[in-house]
Amino acid sequence: MGDIIQLFDDYQEHADFLTIYVREAHPTDEWQMKSNVKDDVCYAQPRNLSDRLAIASDFIERFQYPVPFGVDGMDNAANEAYAAWPERLYILDEGGKVAYRGGNGPFHYDPKEVRAWLAARYGEVKHPEGKPGANPQPAEKKS
Amino acid sequence: MRVSISIGITLGAVLLIAFIGLSVMAGSPKDAVYMVRYALPHMHRGNLKVGDSAPDAKLFALNGSDTFHIRERSNGKPLVLVFGSFT
Repeated sequence: MGDIIQLFDDYQEHADFLTIYVREAHPTDEWQMKSNVKDDVCYAQPRNLSDRLAIASDFIERFQYPVPFGVDGMDNAANEAYAAWPERLYILDEGGKVAYRGGNGPFHYDPKEVRAWLAARYGEVKHPEGKPGANPQPAEKKS
Repeated sequence: MRVSISIGITLGAVLLIAFIGLSVMAGSPKDAVYMVRYALPHMHRGNLKVGDSAPDAKLFALNGSDTFHIRERSNGKPLVLVFGSFT
């Protein structure tokens, strides 16, 4: 998460960004993770669009997420087209062709590869260690 | 008969080793079962390759009524797509 926000901050003048919210990876009624219980991120798999939109809104509010955002429909068309679940990164070039295809998350999801692609084209953006905002923490969840 | 028993033992051992490996990767035997049941059916590498024309799809804005297409968000610059969810 922090890596993506930092990428957006560093390269938004050179590249457009779009987050695409897809079906949940670890909902309470499927493969729930202990870490999600600890972090109070407990949602059932949405069965309709309004439920998916509500969770997406919670996500944006909790992390004050600044990256442009769209939500996949319940036909999961974007997810199917890009084989994206549970998380994945792509770069499309100016002509609408796939310029970078990341691997499936979580094991092959690597924002550093996207950074390297952007850095090769637009130059590296360096950060002094301990720069504030490099690893943003979630905002307090409202009770 | 002996050959059948040997094949059965070998297959059983392979399955056991695979399950142990999956359990280590997933975190626990329970997680391994959930991974097989819930994650693997949805996880695909896909056929897209670098250089392919990028597929398009309709997305919803957070208000639920406005829609747009992925390709509309490329304004003469590369477009970084970040797929994911909250959980």
